[in-house]
Amino acid sequence: MSKSKMSNWGLGLAAAAVALTLNGNAFAFDTSADKSAPKVSGVGMNITDAAIKPWNISYFYDGTNLPDGKGTVTAGEKIYNAQCAMCHGDFGEGAHGYPKMVGDPVDQFEASAKAGVDAVSNRGLNNNWGNAPTLMDMIHRAMPFYAPGTLTTDEAYSVTCYVMNLASIPGVGDDFVCDKTSLPKIVMPGAKLYVTNSGPDTDNTRCMKDCYKGTEFVVEKAASIGDVSVGKVQKKDTQ
Amino acid sequence: MSENMINPVPEGANKAGVASSDRRKFLRKSVALAAGGAAIAATSAANAGDGLKTWTTPLKNEPTRHMLGRGVVSVPYGLPSKYESGVVRRNVGWLTADTIASISFTPWQDLHGIITPNGLHFERYHAGAVDVDPAEHRLVVHGMVKQPMIFTVEDLKRMPSHTAIHFLECPANGAMEWRGVQMDSLQFTHGMMSCSEWTGVKLTTLMEMVGVDPKSTWFYGEGADGSALQRSIPMEGAHDQHGKPIPALYTSHYRDAMVCYAMNGEALRPENGYPIRLFVPGFEANVSTKYLRRLMFVDKPLVTYQETKHYIEVLPNGMIRQFDLVNEANSVITSPCPDFKMNGKGTYEIRGIAWSGYGKVKHVDVSIDGGKNWTEAKLVEPVLNKCLTKFTLPFEWDGSENLIMSRTTDETGYVQPTLKQLREVRGFNSIYHKNSIQVWKIEKTGEVKNVQIENV
Repeated sequence: MSKSKMSNWGLGLAAAAVALTLNGNAFAFDTSADKSAPKVSGVGMNITDAAIKPWNISYFYDGTNLPDGKGTVTAGEKIYNAQCAMCHGDFGEGAHGYPKMVGDPVDQFEASAKAGVDAVSNRGLNNNWGNAPTLMDMIHRAMPFYAPGTLTTDEAYSVTCYVMNLASIPGVGDDFVCDKTSLPKIVMPGAKLYVTNSGPDTDNTRCMKDCYKGTEFVVEKAASIGDVSVGKVQKKDTQ
Repeated sequence: MSENMINPVPEGANKAGVASSDRRKFLRKSVALAAGGAAIAATSAANAGDGLKTWTTPLKNEPTRHMLGRGVVSVPYGLPSKYESGVVRRNVGWLTADTIASISFTPWQDLHGIITPNGLHFERYHAGAVDVDPAEHRLVVHGMVKQPMIFTVEDLKRMPSHTAIHFLECPANGAMEWRGVQMDSLQFTHGMMSCSEWTGVKLTTLMEMVGVDPKSTWFYGEGADGSALQRSIPMEGAHDQHGKPIPALYTSHYRDAMVCYAMNGEALRPENGYPIRLFVPGFEANVSTKYLRRLMFVDKPLVTYQETKHYIEVLPNGMIRQFDLVNEANSVITSPCPDFKMNGKGTYEIRGIAWSGYGKVKHVDVSIDGGKNWTEAKLVEPVLNKCLTKFTLPFEWDGSENLIMSRTTDETGYVQPTLKQLREVRGFNSIYHKNSIQVWKIEKTGEVKNVQIENV
């Protein structure tokens, strides 16, 4: 998948290059960049896609650029227990303040949010994660936390497979095999909840006089819990 | 008296406690010393000295008066006075599981301008601060481009440069106050934010060099540290993963973006991404990837871990909001603040900082009665795009209780919301983008407390 997408881009660029040749002006290439951007020459080097490949490690939400290789739930369990469970819990329940793999079931998560009792501690792969390929991206890129980026591709696929199995992601049974074809087909339970910000959502006005006439304010003071200033920030008189 | 002054001294107050014998002596001296300016000085002293105690002990020389000090370069890289040792970044132990993926806070209560000294810039790490060798470091720019390119740090320093002063704010600034009032300190309510003069190469310069395909509507940066953090940034024509257009409000910020190698005139600090970082002014700081090694131009968002799990908002309707990118208009009074006590009745200056990720600050209004009445504060130059703006307002404290607060309006007309307004749309359990009006309560004792007004 990734390769075909990349070559599609390549084709697009080739077409653009032809247009340039016809124009006979290499600088006429229409970019969306600032038209006032200064022209620079003689600085930097060109680089080939092959040379970039070891760094081209981003896997898109739809599976674009996912690598060859595969992993299984069984293999993932062994790696997880050895390298992940100490922080994320034997059953994905989290430990020592590190994230859970398994949160509340998505319906309960949604109901909690509506009831105003949602908390970060409710969140896991089964409610607050949109796409399986980006889970593979996170694990391969930045896990395990103490040795980031050290899992092989197959190991990363396996851990991805195991944590989705732990979180009871539909379709990820014990025999599920994770690879660049299967991951994009997974529908994460929380996927239906995601919306993109549409703009400012408050509309305060610049009232200057008598803004809350007759209103008694309900004022809550700082609680002592969480008041880290005690003993840390020196309370001083203003000089 | 300034027409902007709020809670002015009542009529006749200046006449109270007239001329003690000490004051008469002082007046005679003033006249003898400076006949020309005497009238103004005397008048001023007569008012300012009313009701004050008198110092009578003959002055002694300071311990430093009869000694030699340190020679030049005894401190090759200068440090603050030893008496300023309390002015430091601080963290909150219980907030994160460790200090490697954590945050520290800028001590705004001790700062006086809009520039954050580099050693006090807040820190946010996802896999710790690393020491990247600038001689070995490379930046790759690729994807939907005519010609992928690779640059050294020296290459970037040679190119046409761009310098601008902008704030940089973690969207979690104020996060601990969503559910209720908690941190009795300005450092911890607003310290996930700093402001610096940034220097680097404009992103648009690099885009021109590689020839970005006009069909590219997103790009992302990636870091060279353990987190290899990546965030998707929209450009004109961007659509989200559902095919819905990204509002135009968020598709032009990239034009101010730069690849920075300097802050406040010197090299970036390792804590802030040395040797180079991406910086997108106005956007939440998470998108401004530190230790930048790669920029890729694409036609869709990645929807990374950061974008699906972390920097999202669970709304009261049960939905999860993504790509809330701009830090909207915000402000806070930095003096008085809970980190200091009032030192008796009389003259103070209310001071604070205001900022907006949409552009310039247009107005800052200050209230000392919980928001019933407001007075426009003076904006201190410079007033810049996506930059902290300092504001001041004279304040006579008469020893009574006051609920003091500031409210920014930016050049787009957006008015900073109250906490109640914000909670109505985002609920009580949010984490990010809490830009509501901050209220401090001055107690009769002179203590200043962090408070929240629940009902307006």
